[in-house]
Amino acid sequence: MADTRQIRARKGPVTYALRFFVIAYLAVLVVWPLWEVTSRTFAPVERGAEGGFSAFLERLQDPTVTYAFSLTATCAFWAVLINTVFGVGISLLITRYNFPGRRILSVLIDLPMSVSPVVVGLALVLAYSSGQGWFGGALESAGIFIIGSTPGMIMATAFVSLPLVIREVVPVLEEIGIDSELAASSLGANGWQIFRRITLPSIKWAVVYGVVLSLARSLGEFGAVKIVSPGAALRGETATILIQNRYTNFEEPTAYAAAFVLVLASVLALVVVSLIRKEDHS
Amino acid sequence: MSIEVRGVGKRYGDFVALDDINVSLPTGQLTALLGPSGGGKSTLLRIIAGLETADSGSVEIEGVDATKLPPQKRNVGFVFQHYAVFKHMTVAKNVAFGLEIRKRPKAEVKAKVAELLELVHLSQFAHRLPSQLSGGQRQRLALARALAVEPSVLLLDEPFGALDAKVRKELRDWLRRLHDDVHVTTVFVTHDQEEALEVADEIVVINEGRIEQIGSPDQLYDEPANDFVMGFLGAVTQLGPVRLRPHDIEVAVQPGVPGAAAGVVQRALRVGFEVRLTVDVEGQAEPALVVLSRAHARALDLELGSRVWLSPTTGATSVPLLGEVSA
Repeated sequence: MADTRQIRARKGPVTYALRFFVIAYLAVLVVWPLWEVTSRTFAPVERGAEGGFSAFLERLQDPTVTYAFSLTATCAFWAVLINTVFGVGISLLITRYNFPGRRILSVLIDLPMSVSPVVVGLALVLAYSSGQGWFGGALESAGIFIIGSTPGMIMATAFVSLPLVIREVVPVLEEIGIDSELAASSLGANGWQIFRRITLPSIKWAVVYGVVLSLARSLGEFGAVKIVSPGAALRGETATILIQNRYTNFEEPTAYAAAFVLVLASVLALVVVSLIRKEDHS
Repeated sequence: MSIEVRGVGKRYGDFVALDDINVSLPTGQLTALLGPSGGGKSTLLRIIAGLETADSGSVEIEGVDATKLPPQKRNVGFVFQHYAVFKHMTVAKNVAFGLEIRKRPKAEVKAKVAELLELVHLSQFAHRLPSQLSGGQRQRLALARALAVEPSVLLLDEPFGALDAKVRKELRDWLRRLHDDVHVTTVFVTHDQEEALEVADEIVVINEGRIEQIGSPDQLYDEPANDFVMGFLGAVTQLGPVRLRPHDIEVAVQPGVPGAAAGVVQRALRVGFEVRLTVDVEGQAEPALVVLSRAHARALDLELGSRVWLSPTTGATSVPLLGEVSA
């Protein structure tokens, strides 16, 4: 295969000008604000107070903060799990089967990417809240509460990160085609054996990549969760909601510390993703 | 009979891929399904394998009605044009796949894989990944994988279509020898008449969803059932009221043969050992094509503008011209 990563050999003034603009743009938009968060995380709160790493750890050990992070982790875990299972299933359905409404389905899947998360939250409230929702009443009589509790927040997170796995897996499934699956079936493999031994190994890296992206997206989800969550400390307050609450309540140091942890998680996710890309291309 | 196809039809929307196909393929034979692209031959093969379902008709394999059976229950080996090897498995694992699915004992699997890799000359590559093999090697791997499960029929869909001309010819000879050794009922699809004539015991010519003729290579070549079969199996030209092969035309530089058509050499093209002449025949719209050996052409001292008299050789295969009452 030809190497598609060719670069221009000549370096002229335009090259240097472009470089300068890109670096400046990234610095103004990304690096500088993130640096501010980092430096404030480790700065002393006031003159004479203790700063640095130990103060940062102390803020994170506050019960409301540990609660918020564990809630965020719970929501992200379930949302990613659900989206991985359904994502792979839907991807197979879209690429391997022909049925009426297939095109509509593949358009619908991208919808969560374009709809504002706040609207997603609102829609979930309308559908599931115990007072007015379509299913809310029925679920309530069965003793299940969605809105204002963890299941609702998981749903909101899952909704928002739904397309990420599918978008990674579908192109790979289309590329590998169905010949090796057909070959496996003529060799005697049943549907599950084909999936586990042929299809899954071929899409492995795409699934992992999608999972990491979903995880990063789920950890940082704010708008949709904010609407369906009670949003009070120790009651439905996720890490992102905590950051907003603390920041507006003049407890900036805690907000910075929590924000720093989220930044760290995203950077970690990006590192993992770039490592996967490398693995995938080798 | 190993494979019995009765009344099979298949449509894609308005397009008729197969129209009432009836064919029976005897056990142990190497049969070619020959025809132009889009003629339905691949569809028929995939229906036999169970990779496609027929709209009507039935398929019987080794006396068992397989019409409703899923592919994994038909015990057929299928080889794809683009190999369809399992990219993430080593060569040995690829071959072992069908046996492992059938939960055969480890020792038996190992012995069988070694035997098959020996058969397809890939023993030294057992621990490589398919991406490290050439196209011809991948196709041999696919063949070994299909043979591993000891299928009652082996089906090959344009098996050499993706290979370059030289490898293609080698694999063709190799397949013929392999079949003589293994004797599994084999059906392969091809659009290359030379491939079919060279390799197959029997050829089924399929065009536009219908069977045009079934017969041995010699029968098809010598007694084509119609104009299509004649044209598909080799070059054809027109001389007077009949169509015949360019090498079945006798060239004379003097009149004398009764019924010979007079003409003028318009063009002479030498390709390797043969000379192809384009002759403008009197009273005929289309010029006639004649092929003769280089030595023969030299002996006749032919050049552009030479007057020649053309007549069919004795025993020439010919069919009457389409749309005309035969003379």
